[in-house]
Amino acid sequence: MHVIVATDGSQASFAAARQFQWIADSREITHVTVVAVVSPYAAVPFANELTERRNTEPTDFSFQDDAASAVAHVAAVFDGWGPTIHTQVRSGSPAAEIIRAAVDTGAGLISLASGSRGLTATILLGTTASRVQHSAPCPVLVCRPTSGSPSGLPAG
Amino acid sequence: MTTPDVAQSAGRSELKRSITAKQLYFYVVGDVLGSGIYVLIGLVAAAVGGAFWMAFLAGVTVATVTGLAYAELVTKYPQAAGASLYVNKAFRMPVLTFFITICMLSANMAAVGSLASGFVRYFAGVVGMSEDAVIPALLIALAFVAVLTLVNLIGITESVVANVVMTFIELSGLLIIVVIGVIALFQGISDPSVLLQFSGEGSKAIAVVSGVSLAFFAMTGFENAANVAEETIDPSRAFPRALIGGMVTAGVVYVLVSVAAALAVPVDVLAGNTLLEVIRADLLPIPVSVMLVVFGLIAMVAISNTTLVTVVAQSRILYGMAREDVVPAVFEKVHPTRRSPYVALLFGAAVVGVLLVIGALIQLSGSDLDVVDRLATITVVFLHFIYALVIIACLTLRGSDETADTYRANTPLLVFGIVGNVVVLVYTLYDDPGALLWVAGLLAVGLVLFLAQRLSTKRAAPTTKEH
Repeated sequence: MHVIVATDGSQASFAAARQFQWIADSREITHVTVVAVVSPYAAVPFANELTERRNTEPTDFSFQDDAASAVAHVAAVFDGWGPTIHTQVRSGSPAAEIIRAAVDTGAGLISLASGSRGLTATILLGTTASRVQHSAPCPVLVCRPTSGSPSGLPAG
Repeated sequence: MTTPDVAQSAGRSELKRSITAKQLYFYVVGDVLGSGIYVLIGLVAAAVGGAFWMAFLAGVTVATVTGLAYAELVTKYPQAAGASLYVNKAFRMPVLTFFITICMLSANMAAVGSLASGFVRYFAGVVGMSEDAVIPALLIALAFVAVLTLVNLIGITESVVANVVMTFIELSGLLIIVVIGVIALFQGISDPSVLLQFSGEGSKAIAVVSGVSLAFFAMTGFENAANVAEETIDPSRAFPRALIGGMVTAGVVYVLVSVAAALAVPVDVLAGNTLLEVIRADLLPIPVSVMLVVFGLIAMVAISNTTLVTVVAQSRILYGMAREDVVPAVFEKVHPTRRSPYVALLFGAAVVGVLLVIGALIQLSGSDLDVVDRLATITVVFLHFIYALVIIACLTLRGSDETADTYRANTPLLVFGIVGNVVVLVYTLYDDPGALLWVAGLLAVGLVLFLAQRLSTKRAAPTTKEH
């Protein structure tokens, strides 16, 4: 089975990738594609909170580089796990592109973080996670932030 | 239960871009068209006279040539930082790079303030509010900025489809004006010779330059295309086409609209007013009251669209500066769910809000000074300076980082672009020396920030290395 693991550059998405690995059985999974989506028209097309910036010049920041580093950082979670790991940086609307990545790869599962809990997620037109669940071509694993364990892994 | 070897487990890395040349074209057209003609036409008409279309033509020509330099640079350096990036590549002077970034930020904030007051004038026209009502106008302008900030916080601006729809709405409004102009021409409302009339007694060339100085704000916005440089498919082909195509489209529309407006309405009626005067001429077979509302709404959509893109650009500059430790890291904060830089967005809105409040207070005190309009002039000064510098950067960087794919702009045209930008810049400062004080003030603030940042990073450097 091919699995899509999505990251938006947040710590929550990193925790979700680890949570997915903890839940999943690597014998059933042949390929994992870690996907990040850069949104060209957004105020910040991609916010990478996982790695330090690499550029030395003050004007060289690149949202695609940021997305590529975030994807590599998340992909490193699966080092030595078994399945073949691919990375992909796509461009466009996050939910639509995650679904497209799943269709393109014939994925059997999409794993992603739910973003924050609380009012904003309910009121503000839904989250990427809820949009993906709504029209995904396969099952969707939505990892939720667990309180008291910053790593995202259940305690114990 | 096999352990795959390294070659097997190292999968493919892919990078997919999404913006096509067509989408980029609509982005440029939408961003440029909404930015000024709806707001500025009255001012330009008053300064030049019936021939004010020449000011729009000259302005759009200078802007298009600047666009050529952007197209060349963007194909070499397809990154989001735009002018600051090019100037840094060409001159390697941190102070200059910092000033350009500060200039862009100030120009953006002034533009949002100016667009907000333009929005209020159309709003007042539609609901029949008196333009002299300072407090209600202030409240509407503040609400406008607040709503657009909220829209950006939620992230609605991310839609490519919405951008194309908005562009068509902007075009439809201007098409209405052109149709009215054609009717006016056939009904013989006014003598076509009005198109060659100048109001002042001085030189015609100076009159046109003064018009360009006022109209130039309407030509800006194309530089925001650099925002999506990284996401564009085949940028070395897409950028020249979209930038030049977009500016030519905007130029044709501007000239047609100003010709139509001059034919339909006496220039003294248009002077100091909005395009609503053209609708009031009542030349369409549709009741004026209906058309006023329809056109007012279209104008408000057009202005909102451009303001949205400007707010996006502004928060992106602040985010970029925070990412580079130029401003406090708090501007780097993004909302956990919406992924929008809420601190940068709220800060930008607060600065614009304070500008609008100060403007209203000065007006209430009985002074004629319109701070927001004043800032729009300053914006133009900054932009001409930045544009001229970008073209010089383009020429300086000739021969470096070039590939077979790099688009190469015509050199004599670029030299013409430098001259054009400098002429209007010099005229604006000569005509309005007071602007120099404002510019100096803003630059002084920038210098203080630069020194503060220099000192703080020097002090912080040893501690960060320990981590």
